[in-house]
Amino acid sequence: MTATISHWSPENQERAKDILASYPEKRSAVMPLLYVASLEHEYASEDAMREVADLVEITPIQVKSVASFYTMYKREPVGDYLVSVCTGISCFLRGADDVLEAVEEATGVRSGETTEDGSVSVEHVECIGACGGAPAVQVNYELIEGVTPDKAEALIKWLEDTKPEVVLADEMQQLFGGQQSFDWGPADTMGAIRPVPAFGVFGSAKEGR
Amino acid sequence: MADNTVSITINGVTHEVEAGERLITAAENVGEHIPRFCHHDKLEPVGKCRMCLVEVEGPRGKALMTSCTMPVSDGMVVDTQSDVVKKAQEGILEFLLINHPLDCPVCDKGGECPLQDQAVAYGRGESRFIEEKRTYTKPMPVSDLVLLDRERCVLCDRCVRVADDIAGDPLIEFIERGSHVQINTFPNEPFSSYFSGNTVQACPVGALTSVDYRFKARPWDLESTRSVSLIDAMHSNVEIHTSRGKIVRVYGAENNSVNEGWLSDKDRFAFAAFSSGARVTTPLVRDGDTFNEVSWGEALELVSSKLGSFIGTEVGAIGGAHSTNEEAFALGKFVRSVIRSPHIDAQVGDGIDPHLAAAVVNRARIDDLDSAATILVWGPDIKETLPVLYLRVRKAVRNGATLVVASPYATGLDSIATHVVRYRAGSGAETLRKLGQGDGDHSAVAEALASGPIVALVGRSSLAEDPKLVEAVAAYAGALPDAKVLPLLARGNIFGALDMGLAPNLLPGRVSTEDESAVSELEYAWGPLPVDTGKDTMEMLEALADSDLRALILTGADPVRDCPDPELAARALDTAEFTVAFDAFITDSSARADVILPAAVWGEVEGTATNLEGRVQHLGRAIPPRGQSMSVASAIDSIGRLMGTELNAADWKVINREIAAVAPTYAGLTADFLTFEAGDEGAIAPLESDSQPLVHTPADVSVPVVTDRFTLHLVPSLYDDSVVVRNTEILAPLAGHAAVRMHPKDASSIAVTDGQMVHVGNLELPVVIDPDVVQRSVVLPRNLNETKNLAATGAIRVETVRGDA
Amino acid sequence: MTDKILTARMDAHPLDSHTLDRYLNTGGYEALRKAIREMTAEQITEEVKASNMRGRGGAGFPMGVKWGFLAPAEPRYLVVNCDESEPGTFNDRQLAERDPHQLLEGMIIASYALGVNHAFVYIRGEYPKVARRMQSAIDEARAAGYLGKSVIGSEFSLDVTVHMGGGAYICGEETALLNSLEGRRGEPRLKPPFPAVEGLYAKPTIVNNVESIANVPWITTNGGAAYAAIGPERSSGTKMVSISGHINKPGNYEIVLGMTWREFIYDIAGGIPDGKELKAWIPGGASAPWFVPSEHLDTLFTIDDVASNGSMLGAGAVIVMDETTNVVAAAHRLVRFFAHESCGQCTPCREGTSWLEAVLKRILDGNGQPSDVDLLLEISNGISPGLAWPPAMTTICPLGPSAVSPITSITRWFMPELEAMIAGSEVAVG
Repeated sequence: MTATISHWSPENQERAKDILASYPEKRSAVMPLLYVASLEHEYASEDAMREVADLVEITPIQVKSVASFYTMYKREPVGDYLVSVCTGISCFLRGADDVLEAVEEATGVRSGETTEDGSVSVEHVECIGACGGAPAVQVNYELIEGVTPDKAEALIKWLEDTKPEVVLADEMQQLFGGQQSFDWGPADTMGAIRPVPAFGVFGSAKEGR
Repeated sequence: MADNTVSITINGVTHEVEAGERLITAAENVGEHIPRFCHHDKLEPVGKCRMCLVEVEGPRGKALMTSCTMPVSDGMVVDTQSDVVKKAQEGILEFLLINHPLDCPVCDKGGECPLQDQAVAYGRGESRFIEEKRTYTKPMPVSDLVLLDRERCVLCDRCVRVADDIAGDPLIEFIERGSHVQINTFPNEPFSSYFSGNTVQACPVGALTSVDYRFKARPWDLESTRSVSLIDAMHSNVEIHTSRGKIVRVYGAENNSVNEGWLSDKDRFAFAAFSSGARVTTPLVRDGDTFNEVSWGEALELVSSKLGSFIGTEVGAIGGAHSTNEEAFALGKFVRSVIRSPHIDAQVGDGIDPHLAAAVVNRARIDDLDSAATILVWGPDIKETLPVLYLRVRKAVRNGATLVVASPYATGLDSIATHVVRYRAGSGAETLRKLGQGDGDHSAVAEALASGPIVALVGRSSLAEDPKLVEAVAAYAGALPDAKVLPLLARGNIFGALDMGLAPNLLPGRVSTEDESAVSELEYAWGPLPVDTGKDTMEMLEALADSDLRALILTGADPVRDCPDPELAARALDTAEFTVAFDAFITDSSARADVILPAAVWGEVEGTATNLEGRVQHLGRAIPPRGQSMSVASAIDSIGRLMGTELNAADWKVINREIAAVAPTYAGLTADFLTFEAGDEGAIAPLESDSQPLVHTPADVSVPVVTDRFTLHLVPSLYDDSVVVRNTEILAPLAGHAAVRMHPKDASSIAVTDGQMVHVGNLELPVVIDPDVVQRSVVLPRNLNETKNLAATGAIRVETVRGDA
Repeated sequence: MTDKILTARMDAHPLDSHTLDRYLNTGGYEALRKAIREMTAEQITEEVKASNMRGRGGAGFPMGVKWGFLAPAEPRYLVVNCDESEPGTFNDRQLAERDPHQLLEGMIIASYALGVNHAFVYIRGEYPKVARRMQSAIDEARAAGYLGKSVIGSEFSLDVTVHMGGGAYICGEETALLNSLEGRRGEPRLKPPFPAVEGLYAKPTIVNNVESIANVPWITTNGGAAYAAIGPERSSGTKMVSISGHINKPGNYEIVLGMTWREFIYDIAGGIPDGKELKAWIPGGASAPWFVPSEHLDTLFTIDDVASNGSMLGAGAVIVMDETTNVVAAAHRLVRFFAHESCGQCTPCREGTSWLEAVLKRILDGNGQPSDVDLLLEISNGISPGLAWPPAMTTICPLGPSAVSPITSITRWFMPELEAMIAGSEVAVG
């Protein structure tokens, strides 16, 4: 008998069921369910981890053991927009530290912190696979390549001013990006609604403008 | 060279070692110690600490390998001393120490710390680490019993493996990553495990410490005494650590036939009850509603003259299940040959037929579980009653055994069982019949039980269960292919007591009282024995209440608390003209005695004890008896002498020799044999199978079917309101609160919801809805403060549960 | 025939190479048809073996040989490793985003050949677009009968699940990836047993890299021999190479191996921006020991030539540093990465990588001590005794020794610069 988390939205309950059904063993669903639970609770809170534990029938500390191993399950509240500045080797060589500084200045918070109004969280991250388009930045894991300090500042201002409901990589790339790792091809119309990777299975992706 | 050995070369010397063994163990066995932190003989290898790196020659030259993960293979060439190895070990130690605090002087592990020792033996001296060490807030409790100091932790994974793999309680885990990795629990979800103390013992540093031992003693002040735990009938092996005449710590000792080094927390921590203020340490004589302290001389005079004033058959004796074999033997000899009463019983109405317990056919050994294809558990929840046996079953299942659990309620083993058979108490016989025929729902179970080897653990699931069903189950299980049966009684040394003849139908050495030639042999040693049929505990209590019996000897038994009818027991003791209680505590029963003789307890008395598989092991004496306490045998010896009989019971070794002489099943099992021949493993009685006179063939009896509305299951829990738990400061708070577990359909039939209060008998308790309780039954923990007086008289007791409107 | 196997379609059809329609009208799923209708599972494996393709994930183990190790127990699993996280690599991202059906067809053929009925794509969490594209491709393929109960009407059935990572480089190591896919911490497992014997859920499992699997349709269509005929003997086929850092034309290049590094860096990737001098490059991702122009510009760009020069081609990531690069800062950045990504289960990696990072940081902060050079080398020796490449290890997996590569590289090629920095003289870089 599989537990359901009755206070989750009907859609998320359905998603949890689908996710559990897509693996031969329940425990495999821990990571995807942590994303869904992070949408329900705004982050991977203690309650979120407890609920995932119920769903896959392991203990909460076993879930936390997994969640805390990975960097993308946020165990503290995060802002509406998580701005991740890559400071890995290739981005570093192309001036990523200056981009990070620009983002910190524009937001007024340091890496690892969230603006007082809860809109933007800043972090610096290790390589995100955009080395050919260094320096790279992600907003809610949607990518912008070839970012300069000026463009980074403009990006923050744009996020704070327009508060986009969905962040779209192609839109941001057009507005704030430059050199790309490779030709991205046609525009992708799906984007992220929260700092959870925008993927249909999690319910974190939405059609943008 | 035997087939199961391989030849390996270590540091230029060739050795024959067991095939399949890990290199670290093989090397150890031939005298080459390889340093280690994460390796633990009883845990799966993880190769995490890397301390045990050695050089192994391979096709591409020598390579560094962890000896804890590498199985030996024929022709393997190993260097454990090369410069490369030394350098690697030096490096690992330096890495381990860079973030390790230098607080050895205040650390409980200091002096017995592998990290400290190995740093001296294999380290490079001073550290070149000048950066800031990792710090955490000082010790955090991970449970009520265990503290964690994360700074000291070397992340060896032993505690996590103990919790997860061994105990099945994955409540402590690694969290975070890289150099931030730490052991932790989830907020508000402590490491509540019956086995948490094993993590403290397994910890190779001072990261995990027990609440009760912290700062108590230094290892170099400790003396160690090998013994076995008498907390339950498993008799897990222990080292009793004492300092200045006090027991300060109990560690598990390795006996691979019994506990493999593991202990329950009750085994480990309950010694504290015996040094608590609740101990009776002087003889007490009743004076109206109170007791007066008297001298031993005075007390013994009183007891001997009182007991001498009754006809033998007017005296009954209950108890002995917490005594040593020698004490139990002395008691039996005294009652049968001095008092000349046949009324003696070590069980208190909550057990099974003594013949079944003592002499079941094809009795299993505990380690038979390791080779069982299928294990059938039909009886009490062994996680609560015999927790280390529960670990053995877990291990067998982990290694592939099929587990079948039959119980009227959820048990600790259900989650790992292949099949769970739920039946209603009273319908057990019907369930057995269906199993036998492989009917419908039970076909999968019947199939699992169709081929051996099978080990069946058989006992009484609750006081509601008719003991006759246990006979029927034993008969069924014994007839399964290649089956062995282990009877499940849990109390301390109950099997030793029964083997010493503390049952109305048994004489020492598993001899039936009906066995005329055996009786006459014993009479040759003891003189004439009583001829009447003996009464069991419930019969004795009824006879006392009816004044058919007049006097009672209690030996560590508390029938008022433990028998199915507390009210009858209280009335019996109140009616008795004279009651003498050998006890270490004032219990509900000893409080009703006329004389209480302070009994020396576990750790204070040397002797032997017999566990549920019939294994006889040596009990060590670690400290002198507390205050004026005396071993039951010594006291009985004095009483006998005052009554004109020399029992030769003052010295345990003398009794022990007599046991070996008169108890056929114990022939050859002398203290000397145990010490010099059997060693730490102990030996199973009888040494020669044909020296056991009694062969109990359980009857396939018919058990009546219940039709009443609710069956009340009073079930044991590890932490209850027993004197031992109640008087162990750190365990007492772990006793739960009583709640009535019942099936959702039953709950709705009486219109109660989860948490609502209901009447059970004269109690008012909250309901817990539990789909794992079989319908038309309710389950209550036995012997909690709330339920201690609840009666479960008779085989099947039915109580109506009414809604609280 | 084109010399491009993997990127031909996306080059020719930049606007819709990821759709099923485009895939079908450029020959897509024909290889699958051939595999299922004309070939046995064994024949496919034989062709893959004959291709001599060495796994593209980094270790360079021949893919066909790996397949041959798959144990017979059932069920078996195929897991495609798209946890592309090695700093400097971004080619799997392009292959999966721009031509997901090519990868999916490779997975279906591989699953058929391996007797697999449930395959997984493990995609790093930071690649949501890859996950979306893969999921769309899976949905399209299922609707069109290429996946599900009866693949193109055959007896063969296959489910494919997209699994997203959570941010952990170590999950690119195949046994860590399997742990992660099982809902556990991404800690590498002890080997043996190898995944082909006991992998996902302790069942026989093949873990292959995206690029490796993406080649399978071409090999199926054209035969292993045709693939083996491309390029040098032990570096056959085409290779996706990512180049980044101080380079005029960063990006992914699908090339036939065998040219010199000079040709690759200067002719293909356009050389160093602003006419600066080349100072060093990393030939195979962050883990690899560095190459320097004085020694290696005329070394051949093949798996074996790079290896015999003390480094590795790895996943095919070239990171270029020009003369202005502060190599101590670059080394610190690399070591910081490995310390951050260390899973923490084994002592030398957990403690050693973060210690190396701390020492480098201290030097960068101007607090270096003369003994620090020895200390860096000693710590490194504690992780990777002998400091050779391929490395000896005191660790469970190669992550720890990877953190040693930057140390050995700067001490080998740039010792004066390191010493000057420790001495506190603001030495002119370059």
